[in-house]
Amino acid sequence: MILNLDKNKKTVSDNYDAVIIGGGPAGLTAAIYLGRARIKTLVIEEMIPGGQAATTVRLENYPGFPEGIGGAELGSLMEKQAKNFGADIIYDNVIDVDFKNEEKIIKLNKREIRSKIVIIASGAKPRKMHVPGAEEFEGKGISYCATCDGPLFRDKNIAIIGGGNSAIEEAIFLLRFVKSIIIVQDLPKLTAEKILEERLIKHKNVKLTFNNKILSINGEKEIKSISVEKTNSKKKMDIPAEGIFIYIGYIPNTDYLKGHIELDKFNYVKTNENLETNIKGVFAAGDVCKKTLRQVATAVGDGAIAAFMATKYLENEGG
Amino acid sequence: MTKVMVYSTSTCPWCTRVRDYLNSKNIAFEHIDVSSDREKAEEMVRKSGQQGVPVLDIDGEIIVGFDQAKIDKLLGL
Repeated sequence: MILNLDKNKKTVSDNYDAVIIGGGPAGLTAAIYLGRARIKTLVIEEMIPGGQAATTVRLENYPGFPEGIGGAELGSLMEKQAKNFGADIIYDNVIDVDFKNEEKIIKLNKREIRSKIVIIASGAKPRKMHVPGAEEFEGKGISYCATCDGPLFRDKNIAIIGGGNSAIEEAIFLLRFVKSIIIVQDLPKLTAEKILEERLIKHKNVKLTFNNKILSINGEKEIKSISVEKTNSKKKMDIPAEGIFIYIGYIPNTDYLKGHIELDKFNYVKTNENLETNIKGVFAAGDVCKKTLRQVATAVGDGAIAAFMATKYLENEGG
Repeated sequence: MTKVMVYSTSTCPWCTRVRDYLNSKNIAFEHIDVSSDREKAEEMVRKSGQQGVPVLDIDGEIIVGFDQAKIDKLLGL
């Protein structure tokens, strides 16, 4: 008897009416709407349900959860809801696509999926810092995920590079482990929501420093300091740190789309207001799109619109 | 039998992905939560030279992060 233990292969076919690339809030919302329209839908997620939101300890600005909700918990609730309405979900990497013909092809590690329509919801990932020392110390004292690695920095004096919502939210989370935090921001002020700033500066072991251009990250076996140049006075100085968390923005997950679809100069997917891309039958939703505000709340809205337009497309043309 | 150890923290999504993947392949593994066990956290840093999770130890071979190709190779999947 041959046992096929690969759950993915057992339950997932190679032909769908709709394939959603990315199982974050945008992709899973689209899956809920398409499932309810009784469209045969597959979601392909690389990491875990919730995508990048799943790496957020607590979401406090997503409506319906007055006490906040864990990002991973929200992701798994959305996954459950999408499955309830019939969507299939697999965990795999999309390595290439072929959008040349009416039937779209999505290439995974070991197989291909064919679909009438595609919704791109592959989101974004943290932007890496490119200064001397940043690459060498990545994973060895530099982390881009406080939720993941925070507990490994117990009792250390750490620095956080960045001053937006992610930087400050994660700083507040890290305070439960670390001895002290210095926020190293390039601008003259934080860009995070005021409520987060208020909560952060209440802590005595938190310091803030502004107008810093990062020059290098220094140390031998372990990180010792960050060299900065003051953007106003041009003075150079070293900030001591035993560990560093970096939150300097995001870059879209669109490498697999290059040459297949229109991207903007930052590689975000260009869409019209109905979230249609330049390719018929291919839509985009969430953080991967060229847009003003990237939040769970806006991703969810995108997912609903993309699914609605995709449903119309299948009824009129693709069906 | 191959001995598989997974060092992870409870809140790390890629750690969840590693554990789900091993479970889906019916691979037995020892799960070590380094967020609550400081000694094991030091052991992980010593073995991998890394201060990040997940780290897998497959019969002494160290894999940092969810590297499916490498996991498949070491486990013969």
